[in-house]
Amino acid sequence: MPTGARAALVVALIYLFLVGVSSLEAGIKIMGADTQERLFSAVSNPIAGLCVGILGTVLVQSSSASTSVIVGLVASGALGVDQAVPMIMGANIGTTVTNTLVSLGHVRQSAEFRRAFATATVHDFFNILAVAVLLPIELIFRPISGIAKWMSELLVGSGGTEWKSPVKKWVKGPVEWLKDLWDQLGASGNVKGALMVATGLVIVLIALAFVTKNMKALVAARIERSLNAILGKAGGLVALAVGMVVTIAVQSSSITTSILIPLSAAGVLTLRNAYPVTLGANVGTTITALLAALAASSADSLTVALTHTTFNIAGILLLYVLPFAREIPVSAATLMADLAVRRRVLAVCYVVVLFIVAPLLGVAILR
Amino acid sequence: MVLSFFRGGDSGLDHVVTRSVAMVTDARHSFDLACTALMTGADPRLIADDVRETDLRINANEQQLRGELAVHISVHGPNDIGEVIGLILLLKKIERVGDHAKNILDLAESGVSFVNEPDIHGLLEERRIVSGFFTEASEILAEHDGIPQSFRERVDSMTSQIQSRIDDYMTSEQPGHQVVPRAVYHRYLKRIVANLNSAVFAATEPVRVAGNAG
Repeated sequence: MPTGARAALVVALIYLFLVGVSSLEAGIKIMGADTQERLFSAVSNPIAGLCVGILGTVLVQSSSASTSVIVGLVASGALGVDQAVPMIMGANIGTTVTNTLVSLGHVRQSAEFRRAFATATVHDFFNILAVAVLLPIELIFRPISGIAKWMSELLVGSGGTEWKSPVKKWVKGPVEWLKDLWDQLGASGNVKGALMVATGLVIVLIALAFVTKNMKALVAARIERSLNAILGKAGGLVALAVGMVVTIAVQSSSITTSILIPLSAAGVLTLRNAYPVTLGANVGTTITALLAALAASSADSLTVALTHTTFNIAGILLLYVLPFAREIPVSAATLMADLAVRRRVLAVCYVVVLFIVAPLLGVAILR
Repeated sequence: MVLSFFRGGDSGLDHVVTRSVAMVTDARHSFDLACTALMTGADPRLIADDVRETDLRINANEQQLRGELAVHISVHGPNDIGEVIGLILLLKKIERVGDHAKNILDLAESGVSFVNEPDIHGLLEERRIVSGFFTEASEILAEHDGIPQSFRERVDSMTSQIQSRIDDYMTSEQPGHQVVPRAVYHRYLKRIVANLNSAVFAATEPVRVAGNAG
């Protein structure tokens, strides 16, 4: 496909994505206060919210998609900022499942697997540590959502109020058309709301998947140049910036971090080179939720999107900028990789427990 | 380095080919210098640093470009796997050519000199032809338009000529201090020609094309 046509397709897909987010918001609003109350109470425990964030992201293998849905839910009023913040943090952990699964592909070669698994799990350990440190602080003092709220107020006004997003106007037509469509098909009340939510979800997932695919095709040569530039010689800050820029371009941290796995396995990229790239990917992926917030009508949705960005930046400041803290995820990942090489089944157990069993138990017990 | 994302320019396999052409030029430089020490009486100590630095540069480029090929496969997937395999082979062959140029220098450093020998004109002519192969190999790699038949024929002819010289040395009645350096030198020369030939083959026909007649 010619570059111009592909670029136009990406613009159209982003528009479709925004329609999906807006449709999701509209669906929840149609479903009314009862449904919103049930959703609210399901994740009122922050650890349950965190687990829902992990599970939801593992399910769609994309934090961009799950955080966009969370933004849509906040915009509809089904979720508050306080409930959404742990979910956003959970999405950060959940998104690392993709590159961890990719690393399992190297399981038959011990040396390769050790390097690949260490690179995959350094991302896990960083995100888990960031949540372990920042979630309690956030729950007590609310510094992250506080900063996000301050930025949001600076941009669009106070939380809880409606803001006139220009994007909202652009996507209003198709959302109204969807509502009319379900009306004509005889849906009403909660059924119509649920159908709008389902349609919105499908649109968001499909649009994001195709945005990622086409953007990757559009910028593959640029990604290659950037990664070549950091091979073995770039400092952490540059690698971090490359990770962020590449992820913003392809709208998927999973793509960025998964590219690193075969490179680490082959020994082309060291763990210490790859580590900051994954942190940049963490920040870069927050652009999608910010984009989703443009299609939402509440300032709170922007606050939540900005919380995602602030949380990831705070994590980097805390666990990467401080030299002693920087070593913790690297050492943990190296140790985990050594264990996994000795007992391969441990690697599989690690993935199943961290990304499925533990969050499922968390939701079941704490909701 | 972050700006490399926004800049245009050579990327991917084109970039590797461009750099491999530069590596061939480096290998030729090493070969010519090493032969100069062996055939013109130049002091090997004066050119040793240059040859060794060039060899290190070739080796470093090989390592870097192999890494870049791994990046290419990681980013683009296996679509270009044939070309990537060819380029990996190409880089290895060029690196070996550089090693053999260094071996020729080692020969000169160990005191071998063909300067006042009766066969010096023949040796210089061989060196000139092989040096020309480097230039042709660079052009073939840069143009990526297949290997001209005439190149194949001349390489084959030179390989046979060198092999027959080696065979002659093996059965020669001349004293060892005369034939052994020549046999060793021609052995290196043969490997250089063979590796150059393999390099252009690897780049232009990386994988033997399977027939689809069933």
